[in-house]
Amino acid sequence: MLGAVSLIVGGRLLYKAVLNEATNRIRLDLNTAREIYHNRIRGVEVVLDTTALGSGFRSELKMQDTSGLVNRLRRLARYGELDFAGIVTKEGTALCRIGPHHIPTKKTQVPNPIANLARRKRVSISGTVVLSRKFLLAENPGLADQAVIRLLPTPRAAPRAEGEETAGMALAAAIPVLEGTRLIGILYGGVLLNRNFSIVDQVRDTVFQQEIYKGRNIGTATIFFEDIRVSTNVLTPGKERAIGTRASKEVGEQVLQAGEKWTGRAFVVSDWYITAYEPITDIFGERVGMLYVGVLEAKYVDIRRKALSVFVLLTIAGIALAIGLGYFLQSVILRPVHRLIKASTEVSQGNFSPTVGPISSSEIGVLQKTFADMLTSLQERDRRLKAESEIKLLQSEKQASIGRLAAGVAHEINNPLTGVLTFTHMLLQRKDIKKDMRSDLEIIAQQTERVRKIVKNLLDFSRQTALNPELTAINQLVESVVSMMKNQALVKGIDLQCNLDEGLPLITLDANQIQSVLFNVLLNALDATQQDDTIAVTTGIGISGNAADPQGVEITVRDTGCGISAEHLDKLFDPFFSTKDVGQGTGLGLAISYGIVQHHGGTIWVQSEVGKGSTFTVWLPLGGVSSERKDTHR
Amino acid sequence: MNVKILIVDDDPIVLDSCKRVFEAEGFEVSFVPSADQALTAMENNAFDILLIDVKMPERDGMYLIRAVKKQWPEVPIVVMSGYPTPETIAEGLHLGAEEFIAKPFTPDELLKIVHEVLQKGEDHENKKSFGD
Repeated sequence: MLGAVSLIVGGRLLYKAVLNEATNRIRLDLNTAREIYHNRIRGVEVVLDTTALGSGFRSELKMQDTSGLVNRLRRLARYGELDFAGIVTKEGTALCRIGPHHIPTKKTQVPNPIANLARRKRVSISGTVVLSRKFLLAENPGLADQAVIRLLPTPRAAPRAEGEETAGMALAAAIPVLEGTRLIGILYGGVLLNRNFSIVDQVRDTVFQQEIYKGRNIGTATIFFEDIRVSTNVLTPGKERAIGTRASKEVGEQVLQAGEKWTGRAFVVSDWYITAYEPITDIFGERVGMLYVGVLEAKYVDIRRKALSVFVLLTIAGIALAIGLGYFLQSVILRPVHRLIKASTEVSQGNFSPTVGPISSSEIGVLQKTFADMLTSLQERDRRLKAESEIKLLQSEKQASIGRLAAGVAHEINNPLTGVLTFTHMLLQRKDIKKDMRSDLEIIAQQTERVRKIVKNLLDFSRQTALNPELTAINQLVESVVSMMKNQALVKGIDLQCNLDEGLPLITLDANQIQSVLFNVLLNALDATQQDDTIAVTTGIGISGNAADPQGVEITVRDTGCGISAEHLDKLFDPFFSTKDVGQGTGLGLAISYGIVQHHGGTIWVQSEVGKGSTFTVWLPLGGVSSERKDTHR
Repeated sequence: MNVKILIVDDDPIVLDSCKRVFEAEGFEVSFVPSADQALTAMENNAFDILLIDVKMPERDGMYLIRAVKKQWPEVPIVVMSGYPTPETIAEGLHLGAEEFIAKPFTPDELLKIVHEVLQKGEDHENKKSFGD
């Protein structure tokens, strides 16, 4: 569509430019044609002038030696290629001429317009002159016949009645011959333009250098008598010179009637030409004809066609190039980019393995590869997160189910325990029992107390008691727990260190519960260490990898104790898992700690190497426990 | 003066245990296994103190506390439970129970709490009579 429009507009513009150029050229060509026309007139004048100055001529004229003069005139006509020449007396009568009736009689006197003008004005006259049939007949009947032009019907010409033009148009000059100031005669001569093609052909050959287009001369020149072609090399469709055809009406009106030049397209005989016309003025200052040059428009149409086809070709090539380029862009750049966009949309919707498409070899390929790498790491991260959350889910499932079981069991056990405790103690209160029986009863009482504690722990674990959050300084909390353990550490000969980050902000948490977590972890550390081992408690800012609020506080308890084996490490936070001797631990401490930290939105994890020690890390979110979290798990 | 105590629990071993402890202490002990029977007993007798278990089939201890406190607000109540969550304790006390005791307990622990509650009631009575 766009191509078609640009084609039409472009073609028009192009043709207009070509036409302008052609018109400018034809205007210059018309100047050349005029120059040639005037040269011919000057040629006639010079020949006559030269003759008139000759002394032989003068004496013959004075003596009225007609035969001598006629001979001289004939030589002159041959030399000057004149169609007619003659002498008029100072009285205005024809004395002699070169034609068949070279000595005119009184009867055959015909007015000689140019000689008369020269005689009257007593100056040399030269120029275009219209000669009547009578004059021509008198001069030379052959010339009169040559002058007769039958008018041919011409398309686009102004209507005209007469079928024939008998007058002739000529280039002529007349020289008054003076003896001192006395006029002794007038020498005249000229060339009949009707059917004389020397001027127009010279113009054609000079200006257009016989350029041929499709068997026809491109350039044409014409001399019009009025609007009739009297001398031309424009051809009729029958390949004859278009003598007798006429100028188009528009041209005639503008040039002959208004006296203006015409340049531009014009219809000439049977074709369109790029033309230039100007009026020809005769010796009396009247517009009697026109001088024309023109080139076939067909040539420019052809140029246009050629240019247009080049233009079309260029346009098509451009379109093809654009399509090709578009395809290239589409396939090499846009398609991969679109695929990447689609892939990233899919990623944002949760699909971490979208198709990126074939990796392109261009820079886009680098982007694709980077994207694919990013996807791989995203998939890896996703997989790891999933695995982690599965473990977490499993852990909390485990906790919940065991919690429910514990609650049920504890509740049922407490009633019979009440019975056992009551009756044992009632027996012990009696004074009449034997000593050994008393000690047995005491064992029953003690072990029942142990059962009671286990059940209480179980209940504590299952209950996951509600949080009582308050703004807490972590360091103070840690210090209070550490100071409680100081004595035990001292007794065991363990170096208990405390490295606290003083810049920690306050955190909203249940101080009692977190304290019990730390207590638990520290107790485990004490149990895992021996004399000369070290336990280091550190606080600091910690960033969590997979929390909604990654800013938090970390409390690490690092010991140089016995470490934890890999198989134990997996079960470390399971309820009832304990490596301690029977009766030393319920296996609930770390499970409860895990639950507490989880309720705070934090995490607890352990790194350990057998023989080198363990590091427990408690991470708590900086935002503290949210109010929402406070209300759940009651 | 004999202290009259009513023990409400669906588990016979708990009733037996408590009966044993309080009889040794010289209390006049009544016991029933359900809330409805406890209310009937309350209609027919005057008790100095009630020992009520929370978890019972049909109507539970909380219902009983509410009913007793509505009709006999002056009778002190000790709530007992084998599942002593903070929520349970808070609810019992909120409904008007004077004290809470977690199962299992030793005779000493039980007696200590019951005596404390009775003492408080007596102090209160004394203050009231002095005031009058």
